[in-house]
This record gives sequence, C-alpha cells and structure tokens, in this order.
Amino acid sequence: MTRVLAVSAGLSVPSSTRLLTERLADAVRADLGPDAEVELVELRPLAHALADHLLTGFPDAELEEVLEKVRLADGLIMVTPVFSASFSGLFKTFTDVMEPGLLIGKPVLIGATAGTSRHSLVLDHALRPLFAYLRAVVVPTGVFAATEDFGDHGLEQRVERAAGELAALVGGRRPLHVVRDEFADPTPFADRLRGLST
Amino acid sequence: MQFGIFTVGDVTTDPTTGRTPSEHERIKAQVEIAKKAEEVGLDVVAVGQHHNPPFVASSPTTTMAYIAAQTQRILLSTSTTLITTTDPVRIAEDYGTLQHLADGRMDLMMGRGNTGPVYPWFGKDIREGINLAIENYALLHRLWREDVVDWEGRFRTPLQGFTATPRPLDGVPPFVWHGSIRSPEIAEQAAYYGDGFFHNHIFWPSSHTRQMVALYRRRFEHYGHGRADQAIVGLGGQFFMRRNSQDAVREFRPYFDNAPVYGHGPSLEDFTSQTPLTVGSPQEVLERTLGFREYVGDYQRQLFLVDHAGLPVKTVLEQLDLLGEILPDLRAGMAEGRPAHVPDGPTHAGLVAARDAAVAAGSAVPETVEEVSA
Repeated sequence: MTRVLAVSAGLSVPSSTRLLTERLADAVRADLGPDAEVELVELRPLAHALADHLLTGFPDAELEEVLEKVRLADGLIMVTPVFSASFSGLFKTFTDVMEPGLLIGKPVLIGATAGTSRHSLVLDHALRPLFAYLRAVVVPTGVFAATEDFGDHGLEQRVERAAGELAALVGGRRPLHVVRDEFADPTPFADRLRGLST
Repeated sequence: MQFGIFTVGDVTTDPTTGRTPSEHERIKAQVEIAKKAEEVGLDVVAVGQHHNPPFVASSPTTTMAYIAAQTQRILLSTSTTLITTTDPVRIAEDYGTLQHLADGRMDLMMGRGNTGPVYPWFGKDIREGINLAIENYALLHRLWREDVVDWEGRFRTPLQGFTATPRPLDGVPPFVWHGSIRSPEIAEQAAYYGDGFFHNHIFWPSSHTRQMVALYRRRFEHYGHGRADQAIVGLGGQFFMRRNSQDAVREFRPYFDNAPVYGHGPSLEDFTSQTPLTVGSPQEVLERTLGFREYVGDYQRQLFLVDHAGLPVKTVLEQLDLLGEILPDLRAGMAEGRPAHVPDGPTHAGLVAARDAAVAAGSAVPETVEEVSA
C-alpha cells in the first residue's frame, strides 16, 4: 500500500497552512485512489517534544511515532507558513531532528503560505535547497498560497498539478510527464471549455 | 554482579547557591567520593576522560592510580577512555602501568564520546570516529597480547618491533568494555573480541539499550565466546534518593532543571518516565533498578551517576550512604533467578583463573579468539 504523510507546520487555529495541507492531501488521495493512505500530521502539538529533542537528543513517544511515519512514507507533503522570509523555526526543527539519511530519495511535495504573494519565492530559495540538501526528490511544482489566493483562481490547478506529480512519483496511475501530439490526439474541446470555467 | 558509580568529572555551578567549585575541589572530590563508595560496599568506581572545560577529567589514569593507592578493595574503571583521540600506545602503557600499581584492581571502558573540536585538537577527524575506534582498539588489543608488534594503519605512525611495557600483570590484559549508546558497530566490536559491552542507559529511552544489548548478545554467541546470556553487559543508571519520595523530588528538581545535559528541556516527571532516572525513596530506586533485567537479561555491572549537575559533595556522599543501605537488597534481587551459567562481573582474579583453566584444558586462551575468526 502506498503511504503519503502530509505535515503542516501551521500554528494558528484555524490555520491557512493546515488548509493548504488538507487541499494537497485530498488531491493526492484522489489521484492515488482508495488503496493509498494519506495521513495529515500537525507539528503544533509536537512543539514541546521537538524542543526537548534538541536538548536531550531523543524523541518522546509521540514524536518518535511521527518520525517513524516519515520513515515509512512513500512520499511527503511538507507545508510551512512563511516566517521572516523563510520556513518557520518549528518546520525547520522537524527536519533538524530527522535521522541523517531519512529523506534520501523520498518524493516530497513542498508548500508554503504567507500573508502576501511577495513571499512566493520562498519555495525556491528556502524549501527547495533544504530538501535538496536532505537528498529528497522534490516534485517540480511547489504550491504557494498567499491569503489572497484563497479567493482567487489558480490555486486549485496548482494543487492538482503538484499532487499529480507526487502521485506519479509514489506509484500513482498517471505518468509524471505526458507528451501530447495535438495533431494526432487533440484535446477534446469539452475539456478546454471545462478548463476555462474554473 | 558488580555495583558502582561513574562520573564524567564536570565542574558545574550549584544552581541552588550559585557557587561553582574550583577544579582543585572537583579533582579532590572525585577521590573523596571514590573512598566513600568503597566504604559503603560498592565494587566499582569509574572516572571520565575529557579534554575541555567544564571537565577536569583529562588524565584518568593519574586519578585512578591515586584512588587505588587510597583504597583497598574497590575496582577502578573508566567512563570512558577515549579510544578515538588517545594514542593506543599511550593507553597500553598508562593502563598497563596502572594494572600493576593497582594489583589488577582496574579495567577500562572504550568510548568515542568527544565534543567536536577535541578531534582536531588531537589531530583526528570526527567523521572517522567509528574507524578510529576500530583501528585504535585493534592495535591496543595486540599491544597487550603480543610481546613484539609490527603494525601499520591509517591513523597512526607505523610500529616496527615495538613492545608495549610493562607487559600485563600475570600475563592477563586488563578487561575492556566498549560503551556506545546507538552505534551497532561498537556492539559488534565488543562481541567480536568477547569484551564487555556497556550501555550508558541514563539519558536515553530504554528502547536504545534493549536494541544494543540484544545485538551484542546475539553477536557474542555468533563469534563463539559463549551463549548470548553469558555475554558481559554493563548498564548505567541515575537516581536521587531521600527517605521520603517528595523530599527527593523537591531537592533534586532545581539540579535537574539546570543540568548540563537535559536541563531546560523536558520536565522531571517526563524524563523519569522516559529514561531510567529515578527520583524518590530508596525503595523506589531499588525496584526500578531491579527492573532493568527485564529488557537486558541478567547482567554483570550496574554503575550509577550520582556526582553531577552541581550537586554538593556532601549531598553526593549522602546519596552513597543511601545506596549502601539498599545494596544488600540490590544484590539479593539481582541474584534471584539468575542462572548459574551467567558469569559474574569481570575481575583480574577471575580472568587469571579462566586463563589457567583454559591452559589446563589445552584450549586457546579466550582473549585471543579473534585470530581464529579473523
């Protein structure tokens, strides 16, 4: 069975980071079908355990269970709020306490939320290098959601595209890359009409 | 079964008074504590090795020899001897000399436990930690067993026709433990040589201890040193006792909250449930300690950390008095249901007897089994 773990570093309740994580998790679940298990974990309840791990060098039982889920996951969805132009400290701490090598070769979908779209490059200047260092396989599409994106067009398409890319990497039914010859196999016009309406 | 204490030799401010002992006080306190340990009937006292502040324990064999001269019965050991950054030739010579001076009343525990910069200060690379432990010990093992050694390795200048002096007392090298919290390579190393394996146990969940000891026991049997339950296992432990459990918690809490290793982290309550730390009455410490066997099997040596976190010497000595009081019950409890084929804790006399028995039986000396399996 394919397992995907979605991790939200959102802090507030309700949290737009959690909301984006849920959207991504739902989209991946829809792509992978009923045989896959997509679970969402929030870091907020683990904040004390994460700080303790930095000091003692070992996880408490609850944190150990989540780290074990990371280890067993075929793919990850990692979503952070933007704090001071980067991922949040809580999000980074979670990656800091991972055993060396834990993410090697693991497909990761990255996401971030912020109050303004001016932070959108955080995915590419902060999250992508972090996961590159950890030698994870980051899917091509990262999903950034500023507050205004929740009332605008486009977020859903980015969520679906990113989810499809992660699903493809963890053994989903759709291929990661499709070459379509519009002369041999034109996109049905109904699809184009549907695409415009969203 | 041997009971004792171990220390890292730190200089730590007493958080309740703000007073920091001098290095002189700490070094002399180690001796006073060791003498007290002998007085209350303990079997082992182990000292640390570090090469940077806030530690004063840079020269363990000096301290051990001084303690040996002032005691009659207690066995001196280390927690740990840094096999990574200490020249194995110096270890062979220093501990070899100590073995003679102490009439065999010593052994040592190999460890890698260094803070980062100590490696470059001694010309080593921390990324080679495991390899240093493997190569250096392989040389030490030979230096104590072969009169003339030709040797060449990656980390030290070669030796041609070298004899480590003095030769081991009665022709029997000091017993060696290997300590590691979670590196399977070290459990494997201890098993390969048929040496002892010690798990620090105190700052970590028991799951680490269980996993490491199980690996060591299984591989000890694999390498033909005996059955898995005959492997030589040591554990750390940590307690703070007062007659009344609430008094123990109240007195120890400020030391716990500010302790160098785990201070300002989890609560005392969380840490005591996650690790073997017991803060309470002597009866509680007794029961918790007797429970260690449930996940490591019958073992040979139990060392407690009592001298740390800025506790005043007077308090440490009181802790030893209380430990002395429950010692007969600890011994009785550990003896209960212990199979006859499980060995006692290692001593020089025991090793000499085993060697003589092996020679009489015409078989190989147990300590050189690795040449057969190499």
